[in-house]
This record gives sequence, structure tokens and C-alpha cells, in this order.
Amino acid sequence: MKFRVFRYTQGDDAPHYDVFETCGVPGMSVLAALTTIQEQQDPGLSFRSSCRGAVCGACAMLINKVPRLACRSQVTGLTDKKNLVHLSPYPALEVTTPWDPATEVLVEPLPHLPLLKDLVVDMTAFFDFLQSVDPVFHPREPLPGKEFHMEPDAVRKLERFTNCVLCGACFGACPVNSRNPKYPGPAALATLYRFHIDPREHDPGSRILAADTESGWWACEFHTNCTRVCPKGVPPAYAIGRARNELKQKRPGQPTRDLGDDGLSDISG
Amino acid sequence: MTVQPDAPPSTAVIPVIHRHELIIIGGGLAGLRAAYEAVSSGINVAVISKVHPLRSHSVAAQGGINAALGNADTTTHDSWEAHAFDTVKGSDYLADQDAVATMCREAPAAVVELEHMGTVFSRDDAGHIAQRPFGGAGYPRTCYAADRTGHNLLHTLYQQVTVKGVTFYEEYFVTSLVTAGGACAGCTALCIQDGTIVGFLAKATLLATGGFGRIYERSTNALINTGDGLHLALEAAAPLKDMEFVQFHPTSLYGTNILITEGARGEGAVLLNKNGERFMKNYAPGAMELAPRDVVARAIETEIREGRGFPGGFVHLDLTSLGEPLINDRLPGIRQIAIDFAGIDPVTTPVPVQPAQHYSMGGIDVDVSGRTPLPGLYAAGECACVSVHGANRLGGNSLLDTLVFGKITAQTIIGDLPDLDPGGASVIEKAVVEEGNRIISLFHRGSEDNMYQIRDTLKKTMMDHFGVYRDGPSMDAGLIEILSLRDRCQQVGVPLMQTPYNLPLVHFLEITGMVRIAETVARCAIARNESRGSHARKDYPLRDDDHFLHHSLLVPDGDGTLKVRTSPVSLGMFPVKERVY
Repeated sequence: MKFRVFRYTQGDDAPHYDVFETCGVPGMSVLAALTTIQEQQDPGLSFRSSCRGAVCGACAMLINKVPRLACRSQVTGLTDKKNLVHLSPYPALEVTTPWDPATEVLVEPLPHLPLLKDLVVDMTAFFDFLQSVDPVFHPREPLPGKEFHMEPDAVRKLERFTNCVLCGACFGACPVNSRNPKYPGPAALATLYRFHIDPREHDPGSRILAADTESGWWACEFHTNCTRVCPKGVPPAYAIGRARNELKQKRPGQPTRDLGDDGLSDISG
Repeated sequence: MTVQPDAPPSTAVIPVIHRHELIIIGGGLAGLRAAYEAVSSGINVAVISKVHPLRSHSVAAQGGINAALGNADTTTHDSWEAHAFDTVKGSDYLADQDAVATMCREAPAAVVELEHMGTVFSRDDAGHIAQRPFGGAGYPRTCYAADRTGHNLLHTLYQQVTVKGVTFYEEYFVTSLVTAGGACAGCTALCIQDGTIVGFLAKATLLATGGFGRIYERSTNALINTGDGLHLALEAAAPLKDMEFVQFHPTSLYGTNILITEGARGEGAVLLNKNGERFMKNYAPGAMELAPRDVVARAIETEIREGRGFPGGFVHLDLTSLGEPLINDRLPGIRQIAIDFAGIDPVTTPVPVQPAQHYSMGGIDVDVSGRTPLPGLYAAGECACVSVHGANRLGGNSLLDTLVFGKITAQTIIGDLPDLDPGGASVIEKAVVEEGNRIISLFHRGSEDNMYQIRDTLKKTMMDHFGVYRDGPSMDAGLIEILSLRDRCQQVGVPLMQTPYNLPLVHFLEITGMVRIAETVARCAIARNESRGSHARKDYPLRDDDHFLHHSLLVPDGDGTLKVRTSPVSLGMFPVKERVY
């Protein structure tokens, strides 16, 4: 199997692509292939990794033009019909280099973040956006003597959002993030929604106001790329739609920038 | 200073020195729990980690955290004393009973505290934190968040510490601890992103770097678990303890060795050999699949060795009787892992599993307050050995260890700070220059040897000679191999290249440490002529309390040779008994 890999070192005039060939064993992940290439062919190849089991979120990158975790992407399955992901277009998905999906795996860095080296991007902006929504639990006071009482159903609803590993795949898949430098992006908004629906919160209803701005909830265009690429099944588009509906209901009559139907019925997540 | 390969050795540049009262090396649960405690009392804290803290291996912990909350519906009420007894028995009586008592007594508060910080735990029908049965436990005591408990805890703590003003140095690899006047004064670190060596001057240094599982060919651990903190301690002449006790988790996914939580068995999954036989009845007829990990791992290993495993070397973990709704509710991550990494859906098909290295009971020698014998140096979490796990850790006790001892150690540091004086920055500046020059020299070694071959040989050696079963002659041969790898590390170099995001340089620093840590495991294992907990010797199959009811203490001599000494086990709460399940 051939791997066409994006290469960039600070100071280079422009990025380029190197092609590597490595014999794939069944079940080999893109991360394992990159590791083999780095150890055996080009020690200078740089990428991030840690858990290799799709729980830590370190290795998000653009693989065959889809933001994915490299550790969770099986080389041989990438071209299977069931693994094809259709995304609303944005610039990073355009052709950057000639490649043949039938014989090559195209590996590029996660879009919408500054390049550091090869497949390593600077995640600072991503985490700064997360901080901007105050992603911290504010409990009801006084605290109970033991744990808070919580219905199992409330936990199930919350879990869909606490499962986020902050890998940034959704951020790199969002057409709005490709052109709006103020948009916090799907992961940050999904995290904010997670606190909004936490029944243990001091004032859960007020949390969504933090992103009630033109560049917050209202900047989403419901491409739903985020939900499609999330390796953990988190549905940010659903959270955004729900938040917008709630905000609309809170102040009927107040004009909001209406981007049409929130399409909740289509975004089951 | 920059460490580009073409840079001349230099003392001309003034190194960058960061100053903090407390530096914490490692951003997993122990490190972040300590950071939370320290920053909450107004201390200037920095966390230094070779990865973003959320990529720490704590995030991968699945099954849960033990605390005698007594939420489960049982005829008798759980208690911290019952938890302590199970832990001591599970440890094969090698754990320090005073330390175990502290951990188990503090457990309910530690769990509730994290819940109050926002951690989402699974709930029972009454709305309390749900508790499931785990191996070696007398009660359903393991609190869980489906099978993502570590993830939920780590993300919660990360959120808490980031708003409190902890400084993070992400993607910094600590290359040495610096001592001055017989105390730890800070460290030197490689900034992976720009390839410079910088210094940290601190009154207190806390090691919270996790385990060293990657010295084994088969490990459930993250790729980053290379034991860096233990190596740093050893190089600073701080002793290591009980290094021979390496836990093999019974159920790692065949192929990638990704963890399949004990929670699966807690929920009712059974182990089957190739004849479809529920073989645990031959090894632990009382506890069956919920015997402690060392017992179950040996049972599986024996089944495989005696030809009752499947070709390739695995047995089946059968979840099919649990049903899809329960699996989706309580084990969704496991289902996804099996589908993603083995192409198997546990709802319909048994999962192929085999034992793999999982946890290091041993580690940096600390007392129950988190102090190492070196003033100013502390350790907590998996890299430390208090000891609360003795010869075998119970499932659900490692997350607990990180939270309880992360907090206690920070409190110790808060109390010690007024008496700690690291001196001026000059000793750190000197160390930065020396480290810089050492690293530049690595680019100019002439050897044709390959560091990855050294690493792979090490992993195989550890698997073959220091695995689930051990014996004297095999371990002796293993040690000889390790020593030859150590010699090769003295020769092998780092490929010439610019240093930003230089993976080979990071790997070199990891691999030299891994070889050294392997030697400590080997020396402790060879010195213990008995079988206890995870240390199972074919040539000494029985526990020998008369001669070996003691900790192994590994103390580096001035010339770098390692001597195995002993230290007493703290007993008194529970009498030492035969261990039967």
C-alpha cells in the first residue's frame, strides 16, 4: 500500500508530499503505518500519537480527505463503501495533490489550525475556543453530603456529549471554521451544551447564553460534517440545533439571524 | 539552548529557566489532582508533560474506581475496612496496611469530590452512583462511568485546573532531575515543539509520569508509557521499590492488546477455552471470572500453554449472554473497540483475548505522604510505589490511588514548601548546558546500530523472560540480554536532523530509560525466590513469608550499579493468611 504524506517544516517555501510504500497487514491502522514509515524509512516524519485505541484524541488528521483518528482508521477499510464519509465541501477537501484512492492513502494535517511540522498542527486555537465557553462545572449550592442525585436517563443524555475526546476532527471538518476565525467550532459548543443540560448545574438554563452571538450558536450552518466525522459519536449539530431552538423560545418575537430550518429531524446524531 | 545537530557545543547562550514553586511532571490523574490541590491553596504550579494532558494514559482507564459507598443493594453493608481487606488480600499481603487503610478510608470522599466537580458517573435506578462487581472484591464496589471512567475523570480535572491558573508546559520531555545540596532543585526539559533545552527551578518536584508498560511486547498501555519518571528518579539516585511486580491484565484484545475491561466480567461475561469450557472453575471455583487479575491471567496463560487456547494464543471472552441493551448501556466503548480493532461485535460473537502487561505495582519509593528519600522530590500515581497494591493490584484501585495520593502528596508538599530552598538558578543553568551538549553529541555518534531494534529486542526479552510465568535460569538469560542492550544504548545515536518535533530524539530518550527500567524489573525479579501475586515463579511456586514478606528496594550505587535491598512491610490490620479465591 502506498501512503502519500503531507510534509512541511517551518521555513519551507511550500509543503510537499512524499510517497511511501509499506506492506499492510490486515487490520493495520494508518497510525501503525505511519509509525512503521517513521521508524524504518524516514525518521524525520512527525505526527502525534498516544493511546492507539481511539480514546485519547491525539492523532486526528485528514485521511483520504476526511478528518479521522489515525489509530482508528484501518488502512484496508478506507475505501469500503461503509467507511466513506460524505462531507459538505470546504477548501481543505479540494484537490491538493494528485492521488489515486484505489492504491494510495492520502494523509494530511488536520485543517483550520496552524501547521507546525508535517502532520502536527498547533491546537492552541482549538483549546482557546474551548476555554471561551467556560467548560467548567458550576454545581448547585450547597453541595449534597454525598453525590448528587441523578436519573440514569439524564446520564444517558449527558454521555453523548461527555464522550468527546477533544481530538479536533469536527473542527477540522467544519466549513464555518474554514472561514470564520471567531467561530468556536463544534466541540466547544457541544461542550457548552453538555453543561447546559447537566441537571446538577447551578443555573443550567443560563449557560447557553454564553454563545448567544452571531459567531456562536448562530454561526453554524448545519452542514453536520462534525457529527459525521466524530470518532466517538458525539452529535454537535444536534446540540447546536437544540440550543438555538431554546434561545428562540426564550424570547419569541426577537429577531434572530434565521438560517432556515434547524433541521433537527435530520440530525438525529 | 537550541540543540540543533550542527550547533557547536556552547556555554555562551543564557538558558531559559522557568521558575515555579511546584513542578509536576506528568499530566494524568495523579498529576492533575495534585495540581488542583496545590493551586487551590495559592501555590504557583506548573505541569510539564510530553503530551497534552488529555492524551495521558489515565484517559484510557475503563472499568471504574473503587469506593465503599455502599450504593449497591447487598444484604450486608460495604465498609472501607472490607475494601482494605480485599486490597490487602489481593496484594498477596505485600501492600503496606497503613497505606491501604488511608486509601480505602479516603475513597468515598475522593469519588464524591470528583462527582461534585462535574464527573458524570453511571447511575443506579435510585439515582446514586452505580457500582459493579470487580475481581477480588467482596462487594459491588466499583463506581463507573460506563466503560470510560478514566476519560470522564481526567476531562473533569483538566477543566478544573485550567481555570485555576496552573501553567502547562505541553510537549516538553523532561531529560534530567537537577539536584543541589542533596535536594531536588528542578529539572531540564526538551521543548519538543522548538527543539530547545530549558530549565525549571522549583522548590518541589512531583513525578506523576505513570507506568512503564511499553517495555513489554504486549501491553494495554498507551505508546507513551515508557517509564520516564522512574528513570529520572533512578538517575537522581532515588530508590525504586517492588519492580518485579508487573500486572498482566487477563483480557486484552488479541492483536492490538487494547484493554477489554474487567467490567465485562463484572457484568457477567465468561471465559471459554477452545473446547467451549468455562475453565475458571479449575482455577478459582469460588470467584470464577472475578478472581483477581494475577489468578485469571495465569489461568488463561496455562490454558494457552497446555493447548486449550485458540491457534495464535488466545481464549474467548463471551459477552453474548449479556444482551445488546446492557452492552450498549454499560460497555459501549468495549463494543466499539472490538468492532473497530478486531472486526468483531461482542453482542453476537465472543471476543478473542489474551493476557498483556497492564500495570506496574512497583515504582518510585515513597512513604504514605508521597515523599521520596530525596528532599524536594515526590511521586504519586502509577510511577510511585507507596505501596497500596503490593504484589497484585485489584481492578478499580489504580484510579483511586491517583486521586487519593495525588491529593495527599500535594498536601505534603504544601506543608513542606516553607522548608524547601532550591537555591539559585545557576545550578539549573549549568545543567541545561550540560544536557544540551549531551544531546548534541547524540547526533554525532558513529554507530550503525538502530534504536528501534534495541527497543524491539527489549520488548521481546521482557515478554519471554519476565512475563506471566518466570523461572531463575530464564530470568538470568534475560538479564544478560538487557545488559547487552544497555551497552548498545551507549553507542547508538540519533539521526542527524533538525530538532523541532524530532521523534527519534524523543524515542532515544525513552528507549534508554526503558532499558534501564527493564534492568530494575529483572534484578528485583531474580532476587525474589518465591511466588507472590503477579510474580509467579515455576521454580519457586509457593509464597515464602519466612524469607520474602518484604519489599524489594532498588538503590543505585554511585557507579550506576543496582543493588536489591529490602524494606519491611507494614502489617497490623489483617493477619497474613493463605490466599484462596
